[in-house]
Amino acid sequence: MSYQEKNITVSLASFTLILGFFLIRVIQMVLGDSFNSTNVFRLWGIVIVLAIVLTILGTILTHILSAIIQAIQSGGEEPEIEDLEDERDKLIDLRGTRVAYYFSAFGGFLAMLTFVIGQPALVMFSLLIFFALVAQVVGDISRLVLYRRGF
Amino acid sequence: MGKSRIRNNIRTLRFFHNEMTQKELADRVGVTRQTIIAMEQEKYSPSLELAFRIAQVFEVPLEEVFSYQPKDDSS
Repeated sequence: MSYQEKNITVSLASFTLILGFFLIRVIQMVLGDSFNSTNVFRLWGIVIVLAIVLTILGTILTHILSAIIQAIQSGGEEPEIEDLEDERDKLIDLRGTRVAYYFSAFGGFLAMLTFVIGQPALVMFSLLIFFALVAQVVGDISRLVLYRRGF
Repeated sequence: MGKSRIRNNIRTLRFFHNEMTQKELADRVGVTRQTIIAMEQEKYSPSLELAFRIAQVFEVPLEEVFSYQPKDDSS
């Protein structure tokens, strides 16, 4: 598995966890009758901060772990990590981003639609962040598929 | 998706160039080893620039490294 694939796998795991956390919190709010603007916008903040922090930590940890594994495999010599991004990596990243944008746009449209049919604005805001997280997860999955299957 | 219609002789050319490793070729053309592997497995078609760089490393014309197989000729 290349460095880029490891990085994407870590990102996928992070965003899946964040998505799970978000869904659990929303369900708890709905069941506990605390689905109000204060709680929803606080959850927005937590999700965004978590996404930033986990992405940074994930990248650093991937780098450190790759170096350790490489050093063990090469018997303690200078580890060689291929963290350079070449044309194939850029192309795969672009295609993954395109898939993520399609999902994001579709989610945005659905969220607006709920507002149009008379649902409260909080539902729209919750759906917006939900589809943003789903888009990131789907984008990462499509990147991994492109790395494995080729194009 | 899957296998590309661009065929290549990179593996053979590497062998005839003092059994050059994938890593050596990758370093010389400025890509990762994973990209060389993907190209050899015909899972990735390189850009024109990368194709020329590979041909330059092996000191052969481009068409000796890469060839195009139209859809009809697959039989």
